[in-house]
Amino acid sequence: MSDARRPSTPQLPPAVDQGRRRLLQQLAGAGTLLASANALGAPLRFLKPTQVDNPLAAYPSRDWERAYRDIFKSDSNFVFLCAPNDTHNCLLRAHVRNGVVTRIAPTFGYGKATDLYGNRASPRWDPRICQKGLALVRRIYGDRRVKSPMVRRGFKAWADAGFPRGANGKPDAKYFQRGKDRWLRVSWEEAYDLSARALDNIARTYSGAEGTTRLHAQGYDKAMVEATEGAGTETIKLRGGMAFLGATRIFGLYRFANMMSLADHHIRKVPPEKAHGARGWDSYSWHTDLPPGHPMVTGAQTNDFDLFTVENAKLALIWGMNWITTKMPDSHWLTEARLKGTRVVAITVEYSATASKSDDVLVIKPGTDPALALSLAEVIIRQRLFDEKWVARNTDLPVLIRMDTLQPLRPADVDAAYKAPGLKSITFMTPGQKPPPVAEQAGQFAAASLKDRFEPFMVWDAARKAAVTVTRDDFGPAFDALGVKPDLRGRGSVKLADGAKVEVRTVFDLTEQYLKDNMTPAHAEKITGAPAAAVEALARQIAANPEKTLFAMGMGPNQFFNADLKDRAVFLVAALTRNVGFAGGNVGSYAGNYRAAIFGGMPAYVLEDPFNLQLDPAGKPSVRKTFHYESAHYYNYGDRPLRVADRLFTGQGHMPTPTKAMWLNNSNSIIGNVKWHYDVVNNTLPGLEFIAYADWWWTGSCEYADIVFGCDSWAEFKHPDMTASCTNPFVQMFPVSPLKRVYDTRSDMEILAGVADALSRVYGDKRFGDTFAFVAQDKVESYLQRIIDGSPGLKGYKVEELHQKAKEGIPALVNNRSYPRISSFEQAKGERPWHTRTGRLEFYRPEIEFMDSGENLVVYREPIDSTHREPNVLVAKSHPAMRPVSPESFGLKRSDLSSESRQVRNVVLTVEELMKSKHPLKALNFTHVYHTPKYRHGAHTTPVDTDFTGVLFGPFGDVYRHDKRMPSVTEGYVDLNPLDARAMGVDDGDYVYVDADPSDRPFRGFRPGTEEYKVARLMLRVRFYPGTPRGVARTWHNMYGASFGSVKGHEGRDDGLARSPETNYQAMFRYGSHQSATRAWLRPTLMTETLIHKDMYGQGVTEGFAADIHCPVGAPRESFVKFTRAESGGMGGDGLWRPAALGLRPTYENANMKQYLAGAFARVRR
Amino acid sequence: MSKVKNWQLGREMDYPYDESRPKRQWAIVFDLNKCIACQTCTLACKTTWTSGKGQEYMLWNNVETKPYGGFPLAWDLRILEKLGRQEWDKKGIYAGKTIFEAAEPNERVLHYAPVDEDWMYPNVGEDDCANNQEAEGYTRSLPHDRWFFYLPRTCAHCTYPACLAACPRKAIYKREEDGIVLIDQSRCKGYGECVRACPYKKSMYNPHTRTSEKCVGCYPAVEQGIQPQCVVNCIGKIRVMGFINPPWKAREDNPVDYLVHKKGLALPYYPQLGLEPNIYYIPPIHAPTDYLRQMFGPAVEGTVERYRALQKDPVAQGLMVLMGSTDRIMHRFSVDKGTARGFDEAGAELVNVPVTEPIVERAAFDTALNSVRNNTP
Repeated sequence: MSDARRPSTPQLPPAVDQGRRRLLQQLAGAGTLLASANALGAPLRFLKPTQVDNPLAAYPSRDWERAYRDIFKSDSNFVFLCAPNDTHNCLLRAHVRNGVVTRIAPTFGYGKATDLYGNRASPRWDPRICQKGLALVRRIYGDRRVKSPMVRRGFKAWADAGFPRGANGKPDAKYFQRGKDRWLRVSWEEAYDLSARALDNIARTYSGAEGTTRLHAQGYDKAMVEATEGAGTETIKLRGGMAFLGATRIFGLYRFANMMSLADHHIRKVPPEKAHGARGWDSYSWHTDLPPGHPMVTGAQTNDFDLFTVENAKLALIWGMNWITTKMPDSHWLTEARLKGTRVVAITVEYSATASKSDDVLVIKPGTDPALALSLAEVIIRQRLFDEKWVARNTDLPVLIRMDTLQPLRPADVDAAYKAPGLKSITFMTPGQKPPPVAEQAGQFAAASLKDRFEPFMVWDAARKAAVTVTRDDFGPAFDALGVKPDLRGRGSVKLADGAKVEVRTVFDLTEQYLKDNMTPAHAEKITGAPAAAVEALARQIAANPEKTLFAMGMGPNQFFNADLKDRAVFLVAALTRNVGFAGGNVGSYAGNYRAAIFGGMPAYVLEDPFNLQLDPAGKPSVRKTFHYESAHYYNYGDRPLRVADRLFTGQGHMPTPTKAMWLNNSNSIIGNVKWHYDVVNNTLPGLEFIAYADWWWTGSCEYADIVFGCDSWAEFKHPDMTASCTNPFVQMFPVSPLKRVYDTRSDMEILAGVADALSRVYGDKRFGDTFAFVAQDKVESYLQRIIDGSPGLKGYKVEELHQKAKEGIPALVNNRSYPRISSFEQAKGERPWHTRTGRLEFYRPEIEFMDSGENLVVYREPIDSTHREPNVLVAKSHPAMRPVSPESFGLKRSDLSSESRQVRNVVLTVEELMKSKHPLKALNFTHVYHTPKYRHGAHTTPVDTDFTGVLFGPFGDVYRHDKRMPSVTEGYVDLNPLDARAMGVDDGDYVYVDADPSDRPFRGFRPGTEEYKVARLMLRVRFYPGTPRGVARTWHNMYGASFGSVKGHEGRDDGLARSPETNYQAMFRYGSHQSATRAWLRPTLMTETLIHKDMYGQGVTEGFAADIHCPVGAPRESFVKFTRAESGGMGGDGLWRPAALGLRPTYENANMKQYLAGAFARVRR
Repeated sequence: MSKVKNWQLGREMDYPYDESRPKRQWAIVFDLNKCIACQTCTLACKTTWTSGKGQEYMLWNNVETKPYGGFPLAWDLRILEKLGRQEWDKKGIYAGKTIFEAAEPNERVLHYAPVDEDWMYPNVGEDDCANNQEAEGYTRSLPHDRWFFYLPRTCAHCTYPACLAACPRKAIYKREEDGIVLIDQSRCKGYGECVRACPYKKSMYNPHTRTSEKCVGCYPAVEQGIQPQCVVNCIGKIRVMGFINPPWKAREDNPVDYLVHKKGLALPYYPQLGLEPNIYYIPPIHAPTDYLRQMFGPAVEGTVERYRALQKDPVAQGLMVLMGSTDRIMHRFSVDKGTARGFDEAGAELVNVPVTEPIVERAAFDTALNSVRNNTP
């Protein structure tokens, strides 16, 4: 709400207040008079038609009531799909009056959703909506809508000048004053044309030997330059933001990336089979939503369950997941399960919203989750509470490890003549051979070249007291048929084929030793802060509930550097207690929306052969993959791979290329809300020559773009689209809307088609435009039907029927194996192996990267920055299976704790040593772990800056902005324990500066006194927050940070709003952002070439890099900071913030407030 | 002053008008153990009713965090301070004074007037817990040693409204057909007496229209058999709106009567103020009894046990998963063989739901469609 609209205050009229006693007295008299007059008879009614005797009983003139009936009416309504970056996706009904959407409502159609077999969801699924969806009514017409295509002035000047470049290929920086430049409104044709010409120019510039020379001259890592293979198209990066949220329009950017091989074909004159497309950036792993340890244990991207299955559990651990604030439409399943008897335990770093809905609450130190889980495992093993039979059948814990090589003992090791039998559980494909279509893949597939990776292993047979062979086929019930009684603690000496003797121990035995030595509850208490007794009690509860304990893991622990260890440790606990793959017992990870694999038919759309397009909507498309995926974490890391002391830790399969152009849609996460935001803005973006963003709201990402395509809001869609979810069982259509476009916007599909058409003109090749030919023909449904036909859970649906139902507010159920969908379901039933080397849940990682990191066993590493202790150290006593490569062997000093070296630093400390160690910044008076979780008021940044939702975001929301320092109607804040704040001399509501590691934050090379630093250094309010332990501070993630424009607005505008005078961009901080304190981190074990895992779509099992499955995930919740008081919290900076001054805030309580808190205002006489 | 019967106090009390109960009384029950403070109700109300000029700060429905939150600021502490410490007797009869009985001479209601700044910060105190979480630790079982809970609030359409009592123009009235309390916008002169008098601070002044406004109970919806916006939009499914009977006319198959009268699960808030409010809360089981007693009266003792007992109560479970499953007003409900049903006034079924969703297993391969059906696609 703009300040100009501020009306007079809501204060009551003072004149009335002063005269009210007299008035009341008069009225009291009049009342008596009227009452008695009325008693005389009816005629008075005619004189005074509004006379009221007893307004409790009757009121004479109620015609006015039609006023509210009028407000409530609508002329018509229609349904649209609200799908921001959460996991819900809600069909909403928009009510229209005079052509304008006046309000939004739930459809109550979820209870009518059916599958192909007549199964139906119940009305317990209704209503599905939230405050953010309702607020869209203020956003569809909001003043930050992108109202047309916009081009940055300098960029246009560069293009108009013919893309001039210097000797090394770089354009003059004068054209690239991003964030400080003016913007021009252009026509759609001009925007398409500019984009096509820029893409062509960049691809040409960086193609061939000349292109390679230029990239070298610009200083890119040589391995990155090599990765382009001379194709300039490889320097163009496209990313559909949260692609799963739009099967055609968001995945369309990847189709476009694949299409760009046509450009390479023209530029380098290479044949189709040698042409390279552009690069596609990852989605799920980019957001640090991927739980990176899941593929290490299960082989699959993520193990999870539809959240509503919680009512099938007896024990629900809500672990690092603020379910109540981030899974709002599915919260009732949790609260209903609880009222029906499910015990709910919150494992959290604060007394959270979810804690308040739990029976038990365990508060631990941020990022110490792997230690807690390992300690639970220690108790379960020590007290023999585990299910030995299930473990023997379904995990690699019985597998024997050679103590010389630390590799699994193979039958061929002991018998040179051993020939591995053929496997039934996996089919090997010879080169050129193709597996059946995804929807028909009943079994697992792998390339024949990977055959030896699935070779048999050995276990110690207790009966025979010898190592015996077990194959990948011997899982579940089949294992029983072997008649082997594996000794989990089996140790022995084995004679190898060459005659040498070697000691072997089981994974279980090695793991047990690690746990016993380092992870007892007493150890865990020191590391995590969880009382030892609590760990014991919790472990017993879990063990007492096999198949009935759900581990609902959240984004919290997932956003730490040790996230994969957390996954591996939690799975260990779940596997020991038979809690993987059951309706009431399973592990799930919930961050972002993923499970694109539900759209298993996607390759037919994304990878359609651009050289041979199928232009008959009913025809079968052919597939040709010409483009590479890449993790955007390298871009975020300064467009670099992980190279420390000139040693490369990024595997070749992961290697990024230099980023010269990027085009993104449906996301504010890659610039505006990126971790290390100001480093990206100041150090990385200057290397880019073209940034296009498609959005319908002017975000922080638009602030730094070159072209912004204004696209349709969800309520204005002119082409249908489709999405689904990882947490609910529905496939949902975005229905086409009857609402007239409010501004000069286009659909994302039209934008893709528009640029593709422009490329056709540039190259004189109509195949570019034909790639999106169905858009102009209004047949986007055909693309959707092709996807549906290839998707295992959707095959059988007709897109027209799904679309029609969606228009009525009804989604459809995905035809998964079960309702609710339960990962590892087939595995727990013994029908299929897991998608791993052994076919089992794996707790030992023999790959070289894990061995070098000392993480072949599941161990504990301290967080990389979010700790008061020495960061990222391995915690262990000497262990025979832990042989990490020391810093010295990389040429680093052991004392080198710089944030760069820290990423590859394998230093081992015992628990006792860890407790004595210190974060290096402690010496500089840094005091707090600072984390930035998500909250209920935003789905990412949608729609936190909308007035109605903004004022409710936190304690400082004030729609009238009485205090003109406020950046908007609300503002970001940091939550500090009141005792910590007081110790620092900071009051509730004060403003403080927050500084993280000065070596690299807010950005590398910052200089105090510059505009860049002023914009980047975080200043925000302090809230006294008694729910957070001392030493831990928090700021919510869902905020718009300061930009050059917002700071200019805040400092220059009369009303003080932090709103860009040029773009209207609205920040919720005066300076800096919650991302000022974060940075990018790359983890060696997430960049391996050989980790075996399931492919994205279908049942193929592959190795190494896979976007959104095995690649870096960053650690955006890690930072260690100090606070510096900046301003007082009172109005305009004068004195104490009013609620604190009145004695109503924590630690400021006045005498009455204390009585009130104690409940002393009402007593019962005893 | 008349003597009127207030069943929530277990006694008669003074009120400026004679007792007159409407034919039906609008009421909402809220299960605070399910409220997630998502503010969807708040936005549903705001986008429907108060998006106009002069209404910027106005939230007829709000959700605040107790104990540190309140909209307007500290509204309940303010009126409790005014009223002073009060007592209930051993039988649960209110022995203290109501705000009508404690009114100063020549006043009808004991009151306080919030100032402009009190309406700032509508979500102050959000998620702030009582008792400092100084270090890590473990809370086993209930109640919690640290706690907060969410309190969603609408106008309570009281049986004895203070706003109505205080209006010098008698421009506030209670509808006989549903008990909804309205401020006649054509007659209101904006004196603000209702704003001062309502202890729950649910009358609000509009400086643009210069009238006072309040929650209208969504009567345009209720008249069509549809529940209010804040109920229909409640994704926590914590609310059910219906028509409550006084205890002496309670009907066991009426959802509201069942929760309030039959099970004793849902209680009025601050009943000691004497308004006989018609919004009822199932108290949060993790908060301390002393605080809850101050807010919900002595009947709060035992609600934790009663709530826990629901684990073995299929009928109550059925009703509680029926909550929010229909947008229509349920006049009657039944639970039988794991299925809960809601019925309209005429007895027609509005909705039925399973108390627990069934687990459906599909065939691993659909031969007709030639497609696998798996859980790890």
